[in-house]
Amino acid sequence: MINLAQKDIAHSLGKFLVTAMGVGMLFGIVLIMIGVYRGMMVDAEILLNDINADLWIVQEDTLGPFAEASRVHEDLKDTLRAFEGIDKSEALTFQNLQLPGETKPIRVTAVGFDVFGKINPINPGRLVAGEPLTKEHYQIVVSEKTGYKVDDTFKLGRDIYRVAGVTRDTVSSGGDLLVYISLKDAQNLQFLYSNARIRSDRARGISETKEAKMANAVVATVRAGYDIDDVANKIKQWKHESVYTRTEQKAILTKNLIERSSKQIGLFTAILVVVSTIIIALIIYTMTLEKMKEISIMKLIGIPNSMIIKMIVQETLILGILAFIFGNLFSHLIYDNFPKRVVLEIPDAWMLFGVVIAASVLSSFIGIAKVIHADPAAAIGG
Amino acid sequence: MGTQGIRVENLVKNFGQGESLVEVINGASFVVQKGELVALIAPSGAGKTTLLMMIGCVLEPTSGTIWLGEEAVYDGRWIGNDTRRIRREKIGFIFQSHYLIPFMNVIDNVTLLPQTNGLAKDKAHDKAMELLEYLEIAEKAKSMPSQLSGGQNQRVAIARALANEPQIILADEPTAALDVERSVNVVKMLKKIAQEQNVAVIMVTHDERMLAFCDKILKIEDKKIVISKLNDNKHIV
Ligand SMILES: Nc1ncnc2c1ncn2[C@@H]1O[C@H](COP(=O)(O)OP(=O)(O)OP(=O)(O)O)[C@@H](O)[C@H]1O
Ligand SMILES: [Mg+2]
Repeated sequence: MINLAQKDIAHSLGKFLVTAMGVGMLFGIVLIMIGVYRGMMVDAEILLNDINADLWIVQEDTLGPFAEASRVHEDLKDTLRAFEGIDKSEALTFQNLQLPGETKPIRVTAVGFDVFGKINPINPGRLVAGEPLTKEHYQIVVSEKTGYKVDDTFKLGRDIYRVAGVTRDTVSSGGDLLVYISLKDAQNLQFLYSNARIRSDRARGISETKEAKMANAVVATVRAGYDIDDVANKIKQWKHESVYTRTEQKAILTKNLIERSSKQIGLFTAILVVVSTIIIALIIYTMTLEKMKEISIMKLIGIPNSMIIKMIVQETLILGILAFIFGNLFSHLIYDNFPKRVVLEIPDAWMLFGVVIAASVLSSFIGIAKVIHADPAAAIGG
Repeated sequence: MGTQGIRVENLVKNFGQGESLVEVINGASFVVQKGELVALIAPSGAGKTTLLMMIGCVLEPTSGTIWLGEEAVYDGRWIGNDTRRIRREKIGFIFQSHYLIPFMNVIDNVTLLPQTNGLAKDKAHDKAMELLEYLEIAEKAKSMPSQLSGGQNQRVAIARALANEPQIILADEPTAALDVERSVNVVKMLKKIAQEQNVAVIMVTHDERMLAFCDKILKIEDKKIVISKLNDNKHIV
């Protein structure tokens, strides 16, 4: 039996391949979009996992530093240590900074922590050069992608910092690169003002800040044998601060940060999928229209509909599958060049494959309808 | 002589309804024997194509009866619901243009119907090569229709019409696009096929020179068929 789809594709192979590539690029972008979303999920949890605390104590009635501004007194950590069930507790700061860059400043999120404390947010597994912070002042550990190397120096605020270590794959939940500085430096950078500002404040009689002993959150670990939720509830009753377990903090992250972006990305992805479907449908439609004459002739000389429909469906599926393959190639070729982390996961690709096949089959219905309604007598036009 | 190839009785075809009703054929009756090459002539718009398409089970008549061979295929309605199967198995169509499938080469075009009818690929291939040789176009078997001349394509189209071993060949102005010499060749070929393969052939033509090769002439006059035997009178129209 002659396979019409194979003959037709072979006859216009170049055109067919170019079309498949074009649609494939669309699919590639869909895959990248999904990958960006997956990347955000991974990124968002890096810091949370590296800090590895059981409890997050944040400003009363706030959701904590990952969702909104939160300020707590640094000495809350000492109070907590006396609390039954608490093992370790430390104060942390989170703030956006601009590191001087070659052409433009580099936006980073700085994590401030007590260098001599018991909870260290620097995951030794991510350290690729140098060492973690060892001094109280003017040291910084930077993310590799900032471009800085160990022993590089640059100015932050009023002081010169030296790079002590370099980490890899460290980004904040917002996707900014992470740097780590001592709590004291962080407090100075966050809560103190520039010389000019201080001079102007002094001139107005505003005295230099007493806020230096603030932090954005206190994190704590719970002693073995104590229930994390119990301890959290007790702190809440006693200290009037908001307390979140790690799971809750993760939920806040996903809810507040990722949900917003995932809605955008989800919408984009959905639009792209719809657009790709429409494009496939249009391509199939024009491909069928182009062959209307041949289809009429085939019907006239007695070729059964089933054979012609098979041709349309096969061509659509082959187009869809080729486009899917091109899409995967394309996304793997370009994803490295994205500023954001792109995580291409095989289940996502298969999901897209399902969508592609469904879209192709739907698209081919238009062609099939054309075939069924084609008038064999129209073939010979008088 | 011969046995009945095509028989039409009281065939009527109207297009449209009410005000816009057009009567094209109104009570056509005739018989074409197997082995006969019959010309169908009439002025443009008289209904030649319409008549062929009804006999070819492409266009549904308004009323009447059609037999192909001994089998009635239409009697007020299609008998059997698969007219396409009748076309595929019994009828060879040839048109003014070749209407080959442009994305298939010559041999695929010719073997398409036999293979659809269930003939094994190599058997269909051998048969097609035989036909192409018969039509002196075998060396182009692997060419695409776009690479052939009009006359060459028309010969391929004839091979395609013959490939399913039809009992009936319906040719609608098969020579209109050809020069005289080639036209004569095609008509001679149809004549030869009619005689050698015992096929009933109806050929629409506007070219009086082709009538000399025909056994009978069907003329549409007053929406009916007038049959004239072709004697030695060559200028019958
Ligand atoms: N689908 C249709 N609807 C309405 N009228 C039609 C239709 N098909 C054909 N006709 C009319 O039927 C008449 C016969 O048409 P037909 O094509 O059979 O003529 P013909 O003899 O083959 O002409 P020609 O020599 O030009 O090919 C014409 O008047 C045409 O307008
Ligand atoms: Mg006509």
